[in-house]
Amino acid sequence: MRIEKAMLVFKKDWREIRRNWQVILPILLVPLIISVFLPVILGLIPSFAVGQGSSLTGFETLIENLPSHVQEQLAGMTENQVMIYVMAVYFFAPFFLIIPLMASSVISSDSFAGEKERKTIEALLATPISDGELFFGKMLVSFIPSMIVTIVSFAVYTAVFDITAYGLFNGMLLLPTIDWILLIFGLAPTVALASIGLTVMISAKVKGFREAQQISVILLIPVLALVFGQVTGAIIFGPLVILALIGLFGFIDFAVFRAAVKLFKREEILTKLA
Amino acid sequence: MIPVVEANELTKTFDSHIAVDHLNFKVEEGEVFGLLGPNGAGKTTTIRMLACLISPSEGSAKVSGHKIDENPIAVRQTVGILTENPSLYERLTAQENMDFFAEAYNLSEPQEKAIRIRELLEFFDLWERRNDKVATFSKGMKQKLAIARALVHKPPILFLDEPTAGLDPESAKEVRDLMETLSQREKHTILLCTHHLEDAERLCKRVMIINKGKSVVVGTPDELRDRIAGKPKIQINLKKLDQKIAEAAKRVSHVEQVDVDKSASKLTIVLDDISSGTPEVVKSIVDAGGLILSVYTIRPSLEEAYLKMVKEKR
Repeated sequence: MRIEKAMLVFKKDWREIRRNWQVILPILLVPLIISVFLPVILGLIPSFAVGQGSSLTGFETLIENLPSHVQEQLAGMTENQVMIYVMAVYFFAPFFLIIPLMASSVISSDSFAGEKERKTIEALLATPISDGELFFGKMLVSFIPSMIVTIVSFAVYTAVFDITAYGLFNGMLLLPTIDWILLIFGLAPTVALASIGLTVMISAKVKGFREAQQISVILLIPVLALVFGQVTGAIIFGPLVILALIGLFGFIDFAVFRAAVKLFKREEILTKLA
Repeated sequence: MIPVVEANELTKTFDSHIAVDHLNFKVEEGEVFGLLGPNGAGKTTTIRMLACLISPSEGSAKVSGHKIDENPIAVRQTVGILTENPSLYERLTAQENMDFFAEAYNLSEPQEKAIRIRELLEFFDLWERRNDKVATFSKGMKQKLAIARALVHKPPILFLDEPTAGLDPESAKEVRDLMETLSQREKHTILLCTHHLEDAERLCKRVMIINKGKSVVVGTPDELRDRIAGKPKIQINLKKLDQKIAEAAKRVSHVEQVDVDKSASKLTIVLDDISSGTPEVVKSIVDAGGLILSVYTIRPSLEEAYLKMVKEKR
């Protein structure tokens, strides 16, 4: 596979996408709002929690399931500090797995289905770009922007949280932790690649963009399961769990890419022109 | 001559529908070959098989010596294709569209690419609009840009699918003129799919009429016309026509039949040999005192030939 050909497809698609504000705005705004909004809420918790009794209600299971070394860290903290620490470091972490999926879903659903709708696909398929190069290029145009958005969101989240919680934790900077770094730079890309690969594959098989997007929503379910697992305390994203998930999703990425290229049929795409 | 496109029993079936039915033809190097047929005849399916966009159900084909089922990437590199729709990226400029396709077809060396793109955009009169988004172009301009895109990597073979379809007469003429210049100046081998007989008549050396996926006839436009026209005819318009002049024409050895239209002062004459017979007929009429206003050969149009052949096969 010639990477430069995949990059050529990426550059062409990105040029088109960046001129379409209807696509760009939701990709940029939603994650950035979340990354500012969540830590600000956390910063406001102490003022809401005054006179409300125990602020740990609902977090007991999550706290009980935390690794022992984390529980040791929590030992000397007040209830408000524990709640903010747990929410900031553990509770919200899996939401950052959803950001690349949300950000990439519009672009990856549009990858082939949009070209079919706009009747540009035939000339593209007639070029000597191989199936693998074409497919990988289409994946890159979803993957690169969504990961940039995720990393920027993470940086904003970290900065806003550390600033708002600076006083409460007596000048201690809580983020980033090793878990977060593994999650953002290891797990988020592998999860995103699996989802993007499947969505691009669906996009090549269906007639139009809406059909592709509707089907691709199903792909959020496993990731939402991870989120709820963490929220309920059933799964705790410690370094080992994250590394195991990176390995698992890395394998899934490879399998999805191989299967997608094998199932990629130019003829099928042309006969399903909208 | 070497055939650069060769189809052998090329067949395509979609479920139970036979779109292309055992087509056999050869296109020689430098030739403009027309695929003529009504909508749904199988022209686009044939081009898509030859461009390795879809695979044949039966039969085989070679393009520039490459078998379409064995080396599709080499085939795609060899051909330039104008698809049914212009297939242009409307949010990109003309220059960006050309840049993308140049690199996709492996024309990556920056200077060579820039020269080629400029040459084509100037040739198609689009250079001044190179930085405008394609969405702002007229239909004719988009079609010209799509042809320029097909030529960007200097392909020896061009597949043009309905290049003048949907264009107003002025734009259609402009595109036709450009194609004529292309075939003469750049010596491309062109496979032209059309149901516009004017395109085929003006541009093609040979045409194949296909109907319901089957080949009806292959030949030069003149051969197809002659095939339905039967023996050659001439029409002579006179200032005044009388019986003596008509009799003089009938006595010429090459003349087989004379139709006399006294009201229009016109003779329609069937000859066994047009080149020898015409001067003799003219001489005999002049000798008989006839004043000739005009003499011309009656030939059916390609359209008449096409309609007759398609009708016969229904």
